[in-house]
Amino acid sequence: MLRRLLRHNETYLVLLIVALCAAIAVANPRFLSYENVSGFLKSCSMIGIMAVGALFVLILAGSPDVSFTAIAQVVEYAIAVATLRWGGNIYVALLAAAAMGVLLGLVNGVIIHSFRVPTIIVTIATFNIYFGMLYVITAGKLINVVHPMFRAFGNTLLFPQTSPIGGTYGFSLMSLVWLAAVVLGWFILRRTFLGRGVFAIGGNETAAERMGIDTRRTRLFVFGFVGLLSGVAAVVHLSIVQSVVPNIIVGKELEVIAAVVLGGASVFGGKGTLTGTVLGVLLFAILNNGLTLLNFSSYWYNVTIGVVITVAITNSAYQQLRHQRSRVHVKVEA
Amino acid sequence: MTEEFLRLERIHKSFVGVHALKGVDFALRRGEIHCLVGENGSGKSTLIKIISGVLQPDSGQITVEGQRVDHLASAATMARGIQVIYQDLSLFPNLTVAENIALSEVRERGGGIVDWRKVRAIARAAMDRIQVDIDLDAEVGELPIGLQQLVAICRALTSELKLLILDEPTASLPKHDIDNLFAVVRDLQTHGISVLFVSHKLGEVFAIAERITVLRDGEKVATLPPGELDDDKLVALMTGRTLTRRRFTFSDPGARKVLEVRGLSKRNNFEDVSFELRAGEIVGLTGLRGAGRTELALALFGISPAERGEIRVEGRPVRIGTVQEAVAAGIAYVPENRLVQGLVMKLSVAENVTAAILDRLLTRLGLVDPTRKAAAAVEWIKTLGVKVSDPAVPVQTLSGGNQQKVVLAKWLAASPKILVLDGPTVGVDVMAKSDIHDLVRGLAARGLAVLLITDEVSEAVSNANRILVMRAGRIRGEVATAGVKVEDVQRIVEARA
Amino acid sequence: MRIPPFLRRPSANRTLAGILVAIVVLMSALNPQRFPTTGNFISMAYQLPIVAFLSIGMMVTMLSGGINLAIIATANFTGIVTVLVLRAVAGEAADQAGIGVALLAMGGGLAAALAIGAVMGWLIAYVEVPAILATLAMMTLLNGVNLVITKGYTLSGFPEFLLGIGNGTLWVIPIPFLILIAVVGLLAVLLNRTRTGLSLYLLGSNPIAAAYSNVPVRAVLVRDYVVSSAFAALTAFIMMGQLNSVKANYAESYLLVSVLACFLGGVDPFGGAGSLSGMVLAVVILQVVSTGVNLLRMDPFFIQAMWGFIILALIAATFLGGRLQERRRLRAARATQQGAERPSGDARATVE
Repeated sequence: MLRRLLRHNETYLVLLIVALCAAIAVANPRFLSYENVSGFLKSCSMIGIMAVGALFVLILAGSPDVSFTAIAQVVEYAIAVATLRWGGNIYVALLAAAAMGVLLGLVNGVIIHSFRVPTIIVTIATFNIYFGMLYVITAGKLINVVHPMFRAFGNTLLFPQTSPIGGTYGFSLMSLVWLAAVVLGWFILRRTFLGRGVFAIGGNETAAERMGIDTRRTRLFVFGFVGLLSGVAAVVHLSIVQSVVPNIIVGKELEVIAAVVLGGASVFGGKGTLTGTVLGVLLFAILNNGLTLLNFSSYWYNVTIGVVITVAITNSAYQQLRHQRSRVHVKVEA
Repeated sequence: MTEEFLRLERIHKSFVGVHALKGVDFALRRGEIHCLVGENGSGKSTLIKIISGVLQPDSGQITVEGQRVDHLASAATMARGIQVIYQDLSLFPNLTVAENIALSEVRERGGGIVDWRKVRAIARAAMDRIQVDIDLDAEVGELPIGLQQLVAICRALTSELKLLILDEPTASLPKHDIDNLFAVVRDLQTHGISVLFVSHKLGEVFAIAERITVLRDGEKVATLPPGELDDDKLVALMTGRTLTRRRFTFSDPGARKVLEVRGLSKRNNFEDVSFELRAGEIVGLTGLRGAGRTELALALFGISPAERGEIRVEGRPVRIGTVQEAVAAGIAYVPENRLVQGLVMKLSVAENVTAAILDRLLTRLGLVDPTRKAAAAVEWIKTLGVKVSDPAVPVQTLSGGNQQKVVLAKWLAASPKILVLDGPTVGVDVMAKSDIHDLVRGLAARGLAVLLITDEVSEAVSNANRILVMRAGRIRGEVATAGVKVEDVQRIVEARA
Repeated sequence: MRIPPFLRRPSANRTLAGILVAIVVLMSALNPQRFPTTGNFISMAYQLPIVAFLSIGMMVTMLSGGINLAIIATANFTGIVTVLVLRAVAGEAADQAGIGVALLAMGGGLAAALAIGAVMGWLIAYVEVPAILATLAMMTLLNGVNLVITKGYTLSGFPEFLLGIGNGTLWVIPIPFLILIAVVGLLAVLLNRTRTGLSLYLLGSNPIAAAYSNVPVRAVLVRDYVVSSAFAALTAFIMMGQLNSVKANYAESYLLVSVLACFLGGVDPFGGAGSLSGMVLAVVILQVVSTGVNLLRMDPFFIQAMWGFIILALIAATFLGGRLQERRRLRAARATQQGAERPSGDARATVE
């Protein structure tokens, strides 16, 4: 039982997170407070939601999608402007965001399926197209005031507490949206044929085709789903920061992908779990939070992440090597 | 059970410029175990593809279970109970055994949600049908290939199976798994399921088939029960020629020892292996798969170095920790898996032939000399008789036999003292096989010491002057081939401790 | 999309040359006053080496089936280390330093780059970390380190020798351009005439067969990433010379362009195929396009989107073209091969 556990990537991740939490808590006990924890869970919701999509792509193809942040950025801007002009409520906004995201994501799906090119190359192209065109159309203008619906949405709390200085804190609705995305992703991957098809294609595409799986439909679904999640993440982000800075989401793609890979998704496709992805996102969120609490300048963030990623992938590769080397080739008799 | 399940009459099929099937008649009874044999280019794969519905015949008639069928499309063939298991098995290495077996079937039954209990139940039922027990939660990619094949068969069983076509199923199976497979096939027979085997391995064909159909050049040459055939007759039917073989002999008591191995050991690979090779000898190394023969070869070649023991080349002790050290010591290894280990498919024949000797084609400045490289390629292609129109052609366009010659050329170009051949004639046509045997004998005659690792005892008996038998990681016997019978050696190979 | 090297080279280069001519004509037509001038061509000759070296540095890792996501971060790191050494040795008078000190500083920068390459190579070859992950990790790490050292500030004040490398001319020809020619020549020899170079192609196509064919796979891989990082260092020196400054995140957008150049130049992202001549043509094309649209004073973000469209157009074209070509050639090869292999029938063959 223990050996099986040790084979799973997630185990090492849990150990790392626990160690990290312990270290930070010792240095600054405020780390473990409800206020702090609910706070960083809220701030990493956007990345968490996008990570679910990134996982799907990695399982399908092994090659990562890097355009989802551009999709989120475009959707965020569009929704902010649209709601300012036409009003509406949060549900309409979420629906519109999701729909727009799906469309932008489907573009990726269609191109990748039709031309059989590695995902990373196509999404580098669409990233530049979406982001470039966004700036061309908006001239990089910031939006400082957004429709009040987002404020209401973003500030909704479950189990609220009041702090001594009068503010309220609690488990954010945004984290719940993240949770919902995780559960949805888990359900699709684990309990639907569509989801199993994603794994099948990732493992052996020719066999999947022979089995009768519609690879076109599955691929379009995955990229549409990524778009949908990016759209939702955009609304979540908008609700948290209540402004739009057109280049703030972009740049986080590699962080998301790193979180997913750290969580055990393989860069060769066919493997990955939601548990691992969530753990990966948590790891980065805790690191970020820890650095802030310990008063490190934000410049150290990249270095720390870099070190963590390096250690994690080295360990993972090393475990793999060890496993291969210890294989019994021949049962030698006495 | 003598009712007919499948009948093909006067089937013709042509591709661009190639008339693959020329009026072939073929009939299969219900519950029959039938083998289809033929060289490359005989039309066997085309016939299989027509039966399984992947290709449509140009003309001719197909009757399944008494009903004339005009168009056998893939989905239709599966509905009629005809399924093919290809050599690559078409499994999902990243999914579990249960999923690989049952997912397809559960999907067919509809719905969008996966009922895992049903998946497991169906998988277990399929395994029970052929009395096989594999861990349902194991990841298929981690299983040994024999078990993977059984998983593929279980998968075929989940839908109503009437005809199972196996394409070269025993190509890389250990004997123990081959026996398992044959037991399963016979079990299928009791359920009324017909099995059509396509195989290159004549020994196994004789062991399992009730009838054998021979194709040659797109025509059906014969359909006979194995009792009316023997090895030579079968080869004659397959190739249109007769082969007479004389055994390899070696008699040079003064020949120097080229390779001496003492007490070579590697945990979980082999233990206390000792033997020697003299110049001019061909020593066979045989045993069941999983006995450690390839592992031993890989240790001699530096891919997976030994942990203990001594190796001497021409009397000098050598350390073999890397491939470079092995090659420097004069050892060359022609690997089992030609496609993955032996050749770089995308590159040209010339590039492949010169791959191992780049450091011998240098100019004074230490750069590779293109003229010498091209000349070396041409020379070795000619010496080995590789039939190729242009050395710049990608090696993937060559036939199996020619590809194997390219691999040999690569290593002979390195002027080795010791040549280790691992299954050199696997998947090679009968004629090319004897070409390769000729070649190897010629090399021995020129002073090379050859270690011939093979599954086929008959190949070892014909082409080696003595045979080492390996079992469970140790050398268990040594037999001089002069006057010995194949069955005798086979008995030593299969003896239990 | 695997296109074997022997199919790709001659006619593909002709296509690229054709595209180049067409683009030059197009840009000249769009910008008759500013584009087809000597001044402009010289200016392009200055900028070309930066993209070229980065793209080539990316290419050599793609040949072995990998990728070097850290190449730009390495270049920036080289620049920073060079400045640090410069300041350590020459203090405040860094910009007055002589050739000796400049070379020393550059040596330090180069050494740093080579060390990075060696570490990445080791992770990929000996620990068997997938290249995309190893270089991603290194990129993140280096970006962080760069940021921590510079705190976001731009560092400047370089000695004349260094500025000369980026800005100087030999007669009329810009020095960076001369360096480019020299280096490309050397690399051509390396790739086509040395064991390491030829091994790269073998290794990239089939690492297992390469190992079984006496190719010292691990050593070759490490060398591969060291060479790639050397190109990053070279890029850094030229950038420093031209911009007279060093920053933590210069040239970030060049990562996209270098991948694009590799793609355009016929490098197979799965490894084993790619020609230097194709790369050079590709980089020149991209430079011409880049300069041309800049001269048109297009919105730089529009240009960014345009690169995206170009990649997609390229993908479509390569896919359709490559498929056609490959099918045709492979069938022809198989037909002649079948002719060669047809048995010359004797009725009987005896084997001794």
